[in-house]
Amino acid sequence: MRKVFITGIGSISSLGLTVEEQLESLRAARSGIGKAVHFQSVYTSQLPFAEINASDDELKKLTGFCDKGITRTTLIAMKAFQEAVADSKLSQDEISDTRTAFISSSTVGGMCYTDSLYADANNKGEPSDYYSSYEGSNHTLQIIRAYKLRGYTDTINTACSSSANAILLGARLIQSGRADRAIVGGADCLAKFTVNGFNSLRILNEKPCRPFDEHREGLTLGEGAAYLVLEAEETAGEKQPYAEVTGFGNANDAFHPSATSDDARGPLRAMREALRTAGLSPGDIDYINAHGTGTINNDETESFAFLTLFGEKVPLFSSTKSYTGHTLAAAGAVEAIISLLSIRHGEIYPNLNFEQAITGRGLIPVTEWKRNVAINHVMSNSFGFGGNGTALIFSRCT
Amino acid sequence: MYIKEVRAISPQLTYGNEFEKGDFQVHGEGILYAIEPSYLDFIPASLLRRMGKAVRMGIGAGLPLVKKYPGIEGIIIGTANGGLEDCIRFLNQIVDYEEGVLTPTNFVQSTPNAVAGQLALMGEKTGYNSTHTNGSLAFDNAMTDARLVLENTEQPMELLVGAVEEISDYNYNIDTLNKHYKAESVTNEELIRSTTDGSLCGEGATMFVVSNQAENAVAEVVDQFQICFPGREELVTLVAAFLAGNGIQPAEVDVLVFGNSGDGRTDFWYNDLQEQLFPGKEITSFKQFSGDYRTAIAFGCYLAVKILRGNHSIYGLENAGRPKNILVYNQFAGERHGFFLLRDV
Repeated sequence: MRKVFITGIGSISSLGLTVEEQLESLRAARSGIGKAVHFQSVYTSQLPFAEINASDDELKKLTGFCDKGITRTTLIAMKAFQEAVADSKLSQDEISDTRTAFISSSTVGGMCYTDSLYADANNKGEPSDYYSSYEGSNHTLQIIRAYKLRGYTDTINTACSSSANAILLGARLIQSGRADRAIVGGADCLAKFTVNGFNSLRILNEKPCRPFDEHREGLTLGEGAAYLVLEAEETAGEKQPYAEVTGFGNANDAFHPSATSDDARGPLRAMREALRTAGLSPGDIDYINAHGTGTINNDETESFAFLTLFGEKVPLFSSTKSYTGHTLAAAGAVEAIISLLSIRHGEIYPNLNFEQAITGRGLIPVTEWKRNVAINHVMSNSFGFGGNGTALIFSRCT
Repeated sequence: MYIKEVRAISPQLTYGNEFEKGDFQVHGEGILYAIEPSYLDFIPASLLRRMGKAVRMGIGAGLPLVKKYPGIEGIIIGTANGGLEDCIRFLNQIVDYEEGVLTPTNFVQSTPNAVAGQLALMGEKTGYNSTHTNGSLAFDNAMTDARLVLENTEQPMELLVGAVEEISDYNYNIDTLNKHYKAESVTNEELIRSTTDGSLCGEGATMFVVSNQAENAVAEVVDQFQICFPGREELVTLVAAFLAGNGIQPAEVDVLVFGNSGDGRTDFWYNDLQEQLFPGKEITSFKQFSGDYRTAIAFGCYLAVKILRGNHSIYGLENAGRPKNILVYNQFAGERHGFFLLRDV
């Protein structure tokens, strides 16, 4: 089986417009959660959000991408994509190579402009600029067109595990020999559609989310985009990889459309499968970047999964959604990159807003920036609606 | 990768066996709505009431297969848009009630992964589960995904792979803004002879049991190919190379199952290939049966399987013979092009 290395990363979130800016925020325990400025909704006065600190016009300037009908989802995807391919020093020829795959993901896609969509879908008034941009895969198509991608291309939507599955699929394409390189990740931005959706399920916290805390009251929605450049070992050549993708597991909870099971059957199966494919045992995991949304349900179930799988030796863990909010389809890739920073710099970024362990679980996440930790293997979890769940393992290159 | 069984809910009478016996449903209203079965035999009424059409059709076509093949390990669905009717119902609530207190049912049902999730839930399948939403390549992606899962195991394994798309006001209005549909009244019977702009809107759910075992298979999926934004002449070269990569000459392709839709703007993609690589070969358009929707190529594969099984009663396929190799091809707006090479087993 061919080894899969990560040779480039690009990310944009409420923590910063680049990976470097986000690293500074992570180290300074500076959360991106606050009052939304660019996003328009009645909820911006009632709820905190993790908004990217750039208007659509600023994003157009940053990316040089100004075509009519380009949505915010496409702009943030483009920004992170540009950073990732530059970081991996890919030439245009390498990007356009038929052996380079591109797998993106999004849940809200072009529906981020909910009001334009409402008018166009109901034939109200003149067509908006965005009438051909609403599909979840539109951002993928725009990037394919702009960068003349000619290999395998895909868009995944498994709700909150979407970009984790993009990483998983990219790794399998490379392992199987169907691709030598895969640019994988996802993008989602704040939208009335998702804010009202999650609000109708009553799982949005009126204060910044506090994952794994006894008094957690729900999640905070965020926006973000992140891409990783995966390359076969021989394709990566002399590059210094961030890490190797060693393990991945995808399973379904088969329990409820929008809640996780008490016995964590789906999450556990995904985590066990990730360990199996990586050839590791639970004791080998040095750090878990948890899904940790801050909802009553998720954190309870995920804690149960940790205790079941790791017993009394639960590894160091934190949910960085306390910084970035829940970036939905992008979360898997945003958090994969944070996991890679942990491996590269030997440090763990804290789980903010934690005070008291969940009764009956007693698990305490990392609550302060922890430095000089030898981190060889990180597990990154992503669970979503529809019972979808994916666990990934990134390992230091030996 | 092998196909063990196929099942479809479509604008034709595919749920029973009328379609295979030569029945052809003519849809004259410019939209090809799926002809749905009664679902009450296997979906509880209380659950059925809450299901949007995409979920309902997906369960209707998929769940009987999940029940019939206990060896099905996972579920992989391709859908460009998922439950659109629920999507717009929720959207309309957001705007009409100015983001007031809303009920979550439409939101949860509208997520494209609701079909694969619900199939897993009702079929009690905790294995591999994914949903591809990559426009007109979403089903192609689902099949590639399945191939990778099946290749990765030494054990005999089956997966349910399928495509679902529903017609709603939302996509109909927006696709009309994009000029995807014909302005004049054309039936699906006349569709492929039309040369004006646009196609006819369709919908359906098409499900496949795929396996890494040839035993009891109805067809082999030899290989797939996809390309975005190719040049017109380049595509002919790429398809020839795809076939060569699988060790066959264009002359060895016996039947073409293509996505021609009588669209004067884009049918040249199909015509070029037929004229330059496959002159004189039997060709049929699957869209005269299914109508046009992003993942309609799944119905093309369904039709190809029926032809490979030697079914000559299907409307317009009286002369198909007993083919060995079938090439299935669909493109959407010239942007994304997908190919399947299917073979008799």
